[in-house]
Amino acid sequence: MTTLFQQIANGIVLGAVIGLIALGYTMVYGIIQLINFAHGEVFMVGAYGGLATYAYILPTQLRADWQIALPAVLLGGMVIAVITAVIMERFAYRPLRGGPRLAPLITALGVSVFLQELVRLFYPDAKAALPFPNLFVGGDLRIPVPGGGEVILTWIKVLLVIVAVLLAIGLQMYVNRSRMGRAMRATAQDADTAKLMGVNPDRVIVLTFILGAALAGVGGVLYGAYQNTINIDMGFQNGIFAFTAAVLGGIGSLRGAVIGAFCIGLIKTLGGQYLPGGTQYDYVWIFVVLILVLVFRPEGLFGEPERVRA
Amino acid sequence: MRNKLVKPAAIVAGALLLAACGTNKTETPAGGGGAQDCDQTKGTLVVGVVAPLSGSLSALGLGIKNSADLAVKQANEACTVKGYKLALQAEDDQANPQIGAQAATKLSSDPNIVAVIGTLNSSVAQNVQPVLADKNILQISPANTNPTLTRGEDFLNAPKRQFETYFRVCATDDLQGPFAANYLFNKAGKKSVAIITDGKTYGDGLAAEFRKQFESLGGTVVAQEKVGEKDTDFSGVIAKVAPSSPEAVYYGGEYPAAGPLSKQMADAGLNVPLFGGDGIFDDKFIELGGKEGDLATSVGAPTDTLDSAKAFVDAYAAGGYSEGYSAYGAFSYDATNAAIKSLATTLGDSGTWGEDQREKLLENVGKYSADGATGEVAFDEYGDSTNKLLTVYQVTGGKWNPAETGTFEK
Amino acid sequence: MSRLTSWLRPAYATPFRVAGAVVALIGALLPWATFVLNEGPYPAKATLQFFDAPFALEGYRLHTALLAIAALVVAFVPVPGRNRVLRGLGWGVIAIAGVNLVFISYEGGGFGAVTAAGSVAFGGLVALIGGILVVLGARAGGLESPVHLPVEMPLWLAWLLLLVSFAALLILVSNTLTAGGQGGVANPYSGPIFLSFVGFAGGLMAALHGAGVLPWVSRLSERHRAFSIVILLGCALALPFTGAGTEYWMTVAANIGVYAATAIGLNVVVGLTGLLDLGYVAFLGIGAFVAANLSGAVAANVDITLPFPVAALIAAVVAGIFGAIVGSPTLRVRGDYLAIVTLAFGEIFVRSAQNDIGGLTGGSNAIPGVPAVSLFGTGFNESITLGGAKLPSGVLYYFLIVLLVALVMAVFANLKNSRIGRAWIAIREDEDVARAMGIATGRAKILAFMVGATLAGLAGAVFAHKLSTVSYESFKFLESVTLLAAVILGGMASIPGAVLGASLLFVLPEKLREFSDYRLLLFGLALVLIMRFRPQGLVPDKHRRAELVGEDDEGRPLEESISGEAHLPTLGRPPKEAT
Repeated sequence: MTTLFQQIANGIVLGAVIGLIALGYTMVYGIIQLINFAHGEVFMVGAYGGLATYAYILPTQLRADWQIALPAVLLGGMVIAVITAVIMERFAYRPLRGGPRLAPLITALGVSVFLQELVRLFYPDAKAALPFPNLFVGGDLRIPVPGGGEVILTWIKVLLVIVAVLLAIGLQMYVNRSRMGRAMRATAQDADTAKLMGVNPDRVIVLTFILGAALAGVGGVLYGAYQNTINIDMGFQNGIFAFTAAVLGGIGSLRGAVIGAFCIGLIKTLGGQYLPGGTQYDYVWIFVVLILVLVFRPEGLFGEPERVRA
Repeated sequence: MRNKLVKPAAIVAGALLLAACGTNKTETPAGGGGAQDCDQTKGTLVVGVVAPLSGSLSALGLGIKNSADLAVKQANEACTVKGYKLALQAEDDQANPQIGAQAATKLSSDPNIVAVIGTLNSSVAQNVQPVLADKNILQISPANTNPTLTRGEDFLNAPKRQFETYFRVCATDDLQGPFAANYLFNKAGKKSVAIITDGKTYGDGLAAEFRKQFESLGGTVVAQEKVGEKDTDFSGVIAKVAPSSPEAVYYGGEYPAAGPLSKQMADAGLNVPLFGGDGIFDDKFIELGGKEGDLATSVGAPTDTLDSAKAFVDAYAAGGYSEGYSAYGAFSYDATNAAIKSLATTLGDSGTWGEDQREKLLENVGKYSADGATGEVAFDEYGDSTNKLLTVYQVTGGKWNPAETGTFEK
Repeated sequence: MSRLTSWLRPAYATPFRVAGAVVALIGALLPWATFVLNEGPYPAKATLQFFDAPFALEGYRLHTALLAIAALVVAFVPVPGRNRVLRGLGWGVIAIAGVNLVFISYEGGGFGAVTAAGSVAFGGLVALIGGILVVLGARAGGLESPVHLPVEMPLWLAWLLLLVSFAALLILVSNTLTAGGQGGVANPYSGPIFLSFVGFAGGLMAALHGAGVLPWVSRLSERHRAFSIVILLGCALALPFTGAGTEYWMTVAANIGVYAATAIGLNVVVGLTGLLDLGYVAFLGIGAFVAANLSGAVAANVDITLPFPVAALIAAVVAGIFGAIVGSPTLRVRGDYLAIVTLAFGEIFVRSAQNDIGGLTGGSNAIPGVPAVSLFGTGFNESITLGGAKLPSGVLYYFLIVLLVALVMAVFANLKNSRIGRAWIAIREDEDVARAMGIATGRAKILAFMVGATLAGLAGAVFAHKLSTVSYESFKFLESVTLLAAVILGGMASIPGAVLGASLLFVLPEKLREFSDYRLLLFGLALVLIMRFRPQGLVPDKHRRAELVGEDDEGRPLEESISGEAHLPTLGRPPKEAT
């Protein structure tokens, strides 16, 4: 019983990370129908940006003080992630807009490989995994579960889940209430009409990339902090998970992306626990779910059914 | 508009003028050339390296390459091979068996190649072996631990040498795994263990050998799990093995995953030692989250007790390499030295290299014996290292300290 | 570019051309470096003195001089497509000068290589300026519309000309492969020498293209199809008899062949049918594992040993069946989503193979010791003597793989021009319209996956025997991306394109091994740049070219202007208006 609850808790933590990435995927896809494969790498770059802030910018005496270190590192990670995403949008994707559908996807693959290698070659010692500081208070939260035993979560994991949920709610509110959010929704629905209504599509798209990258940057830093390590491969795999989550939730839907992410997290941990093949096959289950969703319910859990889509 | 035309013309004229007037007739040789005290008149012989120099395994591959480079440089300075200059030629195998075979073919077509150091991955070695054996070229691996590479599929009961040209300086899984099992069961008194592997050749092989011995001693393996090659979040696996309350976790894999795994085990309340092979015996393991009490086996006597090991570490640091020597650097250094010194023996003071010397070189490698950075370096009749000396290290006070040294006897 | 050169007037054309050619020629004769790179044969005569030995040019300086002289001749003699020819020659000079200038400066520690110890070596700079002047001259003259050379001629003349052209191609390929030698410590400069040779060859090709020679050869060969195919096959089989006939290049060429065959298979799915497949390398893997299991390797779990042709056939069939399974979601899934489904299948394959599913893949230990294919008692990995010439080992595999590629090409070409091929193209253009036209789109799409997978499975069988070890590590995601990149680089739906793409993606890393650390970085960058600047690929298929850049196969703008986005190929979901 304890195991079940512990696995659920683990799944939720993993889901929170995936959710932070999935929001970016789903927003970009919703607006320009681009599977931004390189978004996972933005997450990775964010983590390295955070680490660089910690190692090279933050004065040594401030590092132990999490009230200062944590926001500073988060900010560093977000800034680097956002800069990366903006450059990527401007120079790789924007010139292809309106072109053949296949081109941006292949560009995205190229950007993904490029970013990984860029970090590997030019970040000091990034050829191997790097240690990442725990930026939050130590210790753990222990929740007793029925039938004795307790679920253990480190505080940084708790923080991660809270931050992810708050950011998702904040983003939802921003998109639903603010002027720019309205412009985003309008562009997503009908870019041409939105343009006629005075919405500048370039600005909306850049803003979408910025928001997605900022969330991914936060995700990257917190992921590093609770794992105590980052490596250049972390983006690709989590990126695929996040994409799966976005599709599962219904691509274009913010709420769907977050719920999809928690589902993916739970599938991985519970699938590894209870399904045949165990942890050897936990990825396989995620991909099986992905295929089944795409084939039988391509609009996802929360997407609007659209007959021509997919 | 006119001056737009004039400008390039003026530039060209100026350049021509400069070129015509200023050319210096003496040709100045490049660089200082370095101290050339040794006689190197007979030419250049090549030591090849095949390892992953790009991609995600490049940290290990570059460590192998740099350490081999160090050995070659030292040999050149010490005039180890009389009359010849040695040069290192490192080829990237991209951790891909097929590219590895291609790299080996490239090296093997050079008549001046004397030996190939490599590979890192056993699967790449499987493809490189036949290519080099075909040309009778010596291959010494610093890192292949799969026993089948030297002794064939049925390596325990009916060992059969696979390739006369293949040697290795590292310990095979069937030594290291059982040695670890003995220590854990007898010395540390742990009777139940959970096994986690990374699903790669090294990790899977090591864990399988560990498991056999541990169970034959009477211990129980309460769980065996596999984590993804690129995973860093292990909470799912940990939660799965935790309820069976193992007294220790044996991890088959390398330090980039082992460090975080150890830390996350503690975080999840599974506060038992993590035990691994030489793949986790690295200071980076502790940096990445390896905790007090974690254990690792490694080949040879503790490095602190060996002058040759310290000498290697110092020389490497002085060499100014931009990457660390990583897990297999010392082995690579020993492998390269074995090749070079055997070459020196083969050629003697006045020998001349030719492809017909390769047979003799292989013989001499078979007889080679010396103290290296990893302890005694010599080979048995299968090409395996005779250095059956293994040491268990434990993390105490934030660093690896030797806990026990011994040999595994079947 | 056009803004930068807007000041050019036609009147400048001749002075620029002449001045450029002369300057480039002078550049070739001037010293290029202030020091001697004495570790190898590279710029052995980099510091050659102008007046000491003006005619003893070799290597890249000879190439520069040849291009410059050609440019000088063309500057005075009007040839068809003069400015296009000059542009090609000029870029060739720029490429050679650029590569060598960068390399010499790098070796010589920056600008010191050009001016050091009182000496100057402006050869590279001067040649570069010359090249730029030639290009500017060509631009000032205005590019002519492409040249059309007549293809009507007596049969014997056509055959003779084709023979000569393909022989020249063979020599070019052989020289490119061997340019700069094999690299390694004995020859540390092979990379730059190779690149500079590529610059030279590229310049020549561009000039020939400008003069209408290459399009003419291609039209001619299309007219005499059967003859051309025989000659081309003969040329491919003759490669081992040239300078490239070493064991090393035969191994590389055989590997290229395997990937080229696979890329052509992928082309059925991606290029013809327009379905993006990101897990395609799995079919190569399935073929390889099936063949390995049936080969009698010790590690194989299936206790049956079959002769190679039978095993290859079974491998192809099994891969084809899996192709149909992977393709079945296409009935419901389109576009980007389909790409993700195929990616998921690819990942599931790798993961299962790594876990030794059913004991069939050897797991992390792989399946080693797959025996070499043998025929009449000769193992394909042995060297043979043919007609007095001793051929290196691996050459038999090379022959086998050339035949494989030829077979795959033939299958592809025939399918492309068949009923089902046209159905595929129709689906690529607009699936809904295709369906409305009575095409059973579902069946056609699954068939495309099946055919592609079968071809890959066949290649996989050869792969297993050639390599002797089959490991899951050879079939990871990046391999799928590389295959896709080969197809895109060469030009989608184009057969020569797939072969060219696969060759480039394998030859370049081999020739430029000293830059291996930057391999993937450049690979990623190249993908981005190709999509940005040449999405139709290097050798575009006619139809695709029409769609992607609105030009016909010879670079002329299409008459009927393509109206906005509606005609762009809609891979995946049609534009929003359709909803």
